[in-house]
Amino acid sequence: MMLLRAGIGRLAWRNLWRNRRRTLIMLLAVVVGVWAMVFMSAMMRGMVDEMVRNGLDQLPGEVQIHHRDYRDDPSVVNSIAPPAGDLLAALQQPPVSAWSARVRVPAMVSSAHGSRGVTLLGVDPAAERALGSAPRTMVAGRFLDGVDDRGVVLGQRLVERLETGLGKRVVIMSQDPDNNVADRGVRVVGIYSARLPGDEERFVYGGRAAIQELLGIGHQVSEVAVIGDGYRAVAPWAARVAAAAPELEVLSWRQLDPFLDAMLTLQDGFALVFMVVVFQALSFGLVNTLAMAVFERVREIGLMQALGMRPGLVLQQVLLESVFLLGLGLALGNALAWLSIKPLESGIDLSSVARGMEMFAMGSILYPALDWRDMLLSTVVVLGLGLLASLIPAWRAARLDPVRALNSH
Amino acid sequence: MALRLFVLIPLLLACAAARAAPAAEDIIRRAIDHYRGQTSYTEMTMTIHREDWERSMSMRAWTEGDERTLVRVTAPRKDAGNGTLSVDGNMWTYSPRINRVIKIPSSMMNQNWMGSDFSNKDISKDADIVDQYDHTLLDTREEGGHTVYVIQSVPHEEAAVVWGREVLTVRDDWVLLEQQFRDQDDVLVKTLRALEIAEMSGRTVATVMRMASEETPGEWTELRTGSIEFGVEIQSGLFTLSNLRNPRQ
Repeated sequence: MMLLRAGIGRLAWRNLWRNRRRTLIMLLAVVVGVWAMVFMSAMMRGMVDEMVRNGLDQLPGEVQIHHRDYRDDPSVVNSIAPPAGDLLAALQQPPVSAWSARVRVPAMVSSAHGSRGVTLLGVDPAAERALGSAPRTMVAGRFLDGVDDRGVVLGQRLVERLETGLGKRVVIMSQDPDNNVADRGVRVVGIYSARLPGDEERFVYGGRAAIQELLGIGHQVSEVAVIGDGYRAVAPWAARVAAAAPELEVLSWRQLDPFLDAMLTLQDGFALVFMVVVFQALSFGLVNTLAMAVFERVREIGLMQALGMRPGLVLQQVLLESVFLLGLGLALGNALAWLSIKPLESGIDLSSVARGMEMFAMGSILYPALDWRDMLLSTVVVLGLGLLASLIPAWRAARLDPVRALNSH
Repeated sequence: MALRLFVLIPLLLACAAARAAPAAEDIIRRAIDHYRGQTSYTEMTMTIHREDWERSMSMRAWTEGDERTLVRVTAPRKDAGNGTLSVDGNMWTYSPRINRVIKIPSSMMNQNWMGSDFSNKDISKDADIVDQYDHTLLDTREEGGHTVYVIQSVPHEEAAVVWGREVLTVRDDWVLLEQQFRDQDDVLVKTLRALEIAEMSGRTVATVMRMASEETPGEWTELRTGSIEFGVEIQSGLFTLSNLRNPRQ
């Protein structure tokens, strides 16, 4: 039996190279197809990664800790004590890589020429930088010096709307826990630009201690934002943090931003659909080639059958031919994809279409991300569907009537 | 000796000038006390003028000290009964149509008060100018038999004030003639002017005051005082939420 298998295998391999040109064309089609699938999914994964990371920078964090009522009513009343004891210990344990305790309350910023509703963030600039949620680009001035910084940092668009500027005073107005007006004149010490214009109008940064003093909340904070070692695997350590703070609400970004989560799921699903579509095009070529290979060899197959080869073996042989073809194509295609993506991983500049990219919450540089799971998926898809596609010609070959086959030209 | 005299004379003159003209902060304090009194009761009409429409509202207002104000609209009928209460910088409104007292949140303090050119903040915190600003006397001049003081008021660094400075013109009988609101580039944004001055219940007061925005010249709000009484007796419980909702006066 083993001998038979080896014979069939050798026969299939040799058959493959009998018509060198046809096989090479087919091989090329498989290689290009596999390359396209892996390459495009790396691009899409890069886009999704970028989108999710941007979302998480803005959220910010992969996990957030709040007062149980904060998300329903983000007022200063629903604040929490800064992390201490068990919670602090949980936050200092890997894979947690950074966390930031922040005050986040609705507020009003006014100048002599207007006023706008904003989200006032009282932050620790160092922690915020570690978290990746500090504004990356300062247009003018500086970001906050420390928690005691009494200045504020405004977005560029907000500055334009309020007709104010660097070094000028604006008035911040919010409410203290007793619903009294808490307001103070503050100087604009920095102006930032954000990737999304909406954010520039929405977020105003101030030193945490200075904001806590303004609101009269002692050392209380509104939220603790935490990041770990990757946004896809958050659940295990989020559960550990939640266990350390049973009286608080600990949610992962998937729950905090269901839209982002849905986008990720959608994109993952889309990648699969894309692969299937690419394969559709590929499979016509595959079926065609194998069908031709069978038609050309009708007499030969008839002869083999007349000599006593069973239809099952004919089926096996034709299938093996396509397995060899696909296997070779997959190996070459994956290798080619790997070679073409590696040099691009430092980023592809897309600044010419930056405005369009902004609509998808993305920056102007695309970082393709090669994932071995994408390669595995494309391999499985190509191999699986390829075998399915070659079943038809194989089936026809096996069903040939030896007498008629021998008599055909 | 002669040299010392030369130094002394300007010093003495400066002292004399200082004694003749009260300190700038004093002038502001007295101007505010003058139009608010310890307690006061005012009947007035507010006219809001825009390019293509104009409307008037009659109202009654009670004040006590700097921190307590109650305003009630009496006409037109659709607005009658609306009230605004301001105590210690907080502000509540009441509308009989929805039968509800609403606290003005901080986010709305900069918005218009009843659609006028006054902001809620102008109404509830107008006495803040005394201690949240640094006052300097810019100019003293004679005008129509009165001494007129021009005072510049610059808000303290952390005062919750958006203006770069305010320039107030006050007459020596403590009538506020003009208040300019300038932004931090010293551009005039809006001006409050006394248009008519008359004597009412023993005091000379500005009976017509107009707040006008400089950016939109056709828009202004005028407050015309019909009658004013100072030193009225304020019933206890006047400046309370329950009185705002169920007027006893």
